[in-house]
Amino acid sequence: MQAAHIIHAHKQAPWRVQRQWVGAFLLAVIGMAMIAALYLDVTARAAVTGREIQELRTEITTIQRTNADLETQLANMTSTIEMQRRALALGYRPVKPGELDYMAVPGFSVPEPKILLVAEDAPPEVHSLPPEYSQSLIEWFDERIRFGGAR
Amino acid sequence: MRQQYAIRSLILVVCLAIAAVAVIVQMVRIQSSEQAQIFLSQGDRYAGEFHMIYPERGEIYDRHGHLLAGNRTVYEVGVSLSEMGNPEAMARILSSYLGLTFEEVYDKLTNSPETWEYIVVQDYVGAETVTSLQALMHQFDETNDQRLSGLGFKPHFQRSYPETALASNVLGFVTRDGRGYFGIEEKYNDLLAGNPVQVWVPRDPNKALEIPRVPNGTTLVLTLHRDLQASVESILDDALFEYGAENGTIIVMDPRNGEILAMAATPRMNLNDYGNYFSLYDNGSQYNRSIGMAYEPGSVLKVLTMAAALDTGTVRPDTEFIDTGSIQVGGITIQNWNRDAWGQQNMLGCLQHSLNVCLAWVSSQMGSQTFYGYMERFGLGHPTGIDLAGEAMGRLKVPGDTDWYPVDLGTNAFGQGVSVTPLQMLMAVTAIANDGRMVTPHVLYSMVRDGHQYNVPSQYAGSPISAETAHTLSEMLALSLEEESSQALLAGYRLAGKTGTAQIPTDFGYDAFHTNVSFVGWGPVDDPQFMIYIWLQKPSASIWSSETTAPVFSKVAEQTVIQLNIPPDIVRSQLSNR
Repeated sequence: MQAAHIIHAHKQAPWRVQRQWVGAFLLAVIGMAMIAALYLDVTARAAVTGREIQELRTEITTIQRTNADLETQLANMTSTIEMQRRALALGYRPVKPGELDYMAVPGFSVPEPKILLVAEDAPPEVHSLPPEYSQSLIEWFDERIRFGGAR
Repeated sequence: MRQQYAIRSLILVVCLAIAAVAVIVQMVRIQSSEQAQIFLSQGDRYAGEFHMIYPERGEIYDRHGHLLAGNRTVYEVGVSLSEMGNPEAMARILSSYLGLTFEEVYDKLTNSPETWEYIVVQDYVGAETVTSLQALMHQFDETNDQRLSGLGFKPHFQRSYPETALASNVLGFVTRDGRGYFGIEEKYNDLLAGNPVQVWVPRDPNKALEIPRVPNGTTLVLTLHRDLQASVESILDDALFEYGAENGTIIVMDPRNGEILAMAATPRMNLNDYGNYFSLYDNGSQYNRSIGMAYEPGSVLKVLTMAAALDTGTVRPDTEFIDTGSIQVGGITIQNWNRDAWGQQNMLGCLQHSLNVCLAWVSSQMGSQTFYGYMERFGLGHPTGIDLAGEAMGRLKVPGDTDWYPVDLGTNAFGQGVSVTPLQMLMAVTAIANDGRMVTPHVLYSMVRDGHQYNVPSQYAGSPISAETAHTLSEMLALSLEEESSQALLAGYRLAGKTGTAQIPTDFGYDAFHTNVSFVGWGPVDDPQFMIYIWLQKPSASIWSSETTAPVFSKVAEQTVIQLNIPPDIVRSQLSNR
């Protein structure tokens, strides 16, 4: 009987009820603040990374242009006219057939045109940018809800 | 009192709730209205922009990896009109750097339509000029000078030809709209240009969407030998000067597989300045005379007539023919080049002295059906199928055509009344140097795409004659050069070949004063590794092939054996006996 009375008194204490409500509210606020902070952090990092990707992409384009320019410059410097001019300036002259000596070299075969050294690019079907860098938190939640854990 | 407050509070709450609901309803209504879609699409328009990504045009190399056609960066110089501070100062500076007049630039900057935000002052500006302008901008920025504010540079590629005019007739050129014209650039335009891709690029960095990789255009490796090409072009230019010829062409081909090693023609143009095209050429067929211009080849075609006659057994090398100086074919009299009677000859003599009467007799003995059947099999009247744009077909009239006459059987036998391109003749003669098998000429050695090289296989274009006939005729043509001590000979190497001097048809009959001179030859006879065709138009120093193209052939052959490392016959024989 006394125990039942004590419980009744506890329930009736208004400050306890208020504290519970305040606690629950604060908990909700803290939870929302954490989610907001997390969201902001992810968004900020995604934005920074996105910007970096854009800059890297620009850099790649610039490097490709520079490569093409350098290749053309090299070809200009080693063009037939330029090489002939430099050879003549160094005292060379065109050879005549009678001035050539031929010798047998065992195992030597006349060189055929070789495969050019061309840098192999990534196959077009490979995606180098993972979704973590292009997906917002909400989109990530949406994907999880709709497709579960499997991607 | 408390109840009164409670009622007021309730009314206030209800009012606020109604207002809140009204706001929400209005929000939903606006969001789902028809106008909302318009606003959304307007918003999307500014969320990003479509970018067309053009791949870098594929490069073109010679067979040893020398760059013949590449790309270089040039810039579009433009001004953002809203950021521009002082148009007069801007115009003054830009005109001095870009080589434009002040009025021209100032007019562009100040008289553009009001809706324009950006204006292009000049495109295809070189990197050096842009670097200078950028340095000046940097200098102005440091002093907070606004004279060049709003100036911008957009880089893009432009085709570049490091060898300028070398092999220009084979390569063709690319205009500013990115399209290839003539030669390789036109024939393989789609491969070289690659596939442009349009992508949506959002302005929001959160949406860093993946931009698809746009592969560069296919790189092409040609069969051309750059140094040999340069030598052949030099020899051709010298020949035109020495013999006073109007134009000419020289082709060097590997008769074993049809690879074109050099193809020189005149006139050539600096491919980096293709604006000269219209001042150099009257029409497209003149761009590469080796494949684009058909002409009556004259006596070089006797090689094919003799090949057909030997193959059918109509004649043998020792078959005798009494040359009386003329022969009647189809009621028309045919005479020799010098109008003389050469008396008793065998077939070797007929070739050696290039006797029209004898060859007309040979074709008559064969009959028109056999003769034209062989000419068809040799590919006359058909394109060779070379992988260059702008190939002409030539014309082989055959019995049944409205403009064919019986006399054509006689004149066609020595290369008059039939038109061929130099390349057609060369392709036909490969059968004689290549054991009876004719090869299709080609310029593309391989294609390189995504790091993989795809070699182009050689193609045979039939076997119009037997190997035995080919060997016999080869020997006859080698002996013919040797016995007449031709100027085509090259010390140390046994070569076979045939001259050709042809009259030029006009609207009023044949030109009495000018000729076309040609030569086809190959070597070494026992192991042919090169075949050369020469055509000089209207030489003024001499009208005879034996005095013009024959020495040119010797010079080209000399350069060819040096550049291709072909030892003299005696050395090859010693090396093979080891």
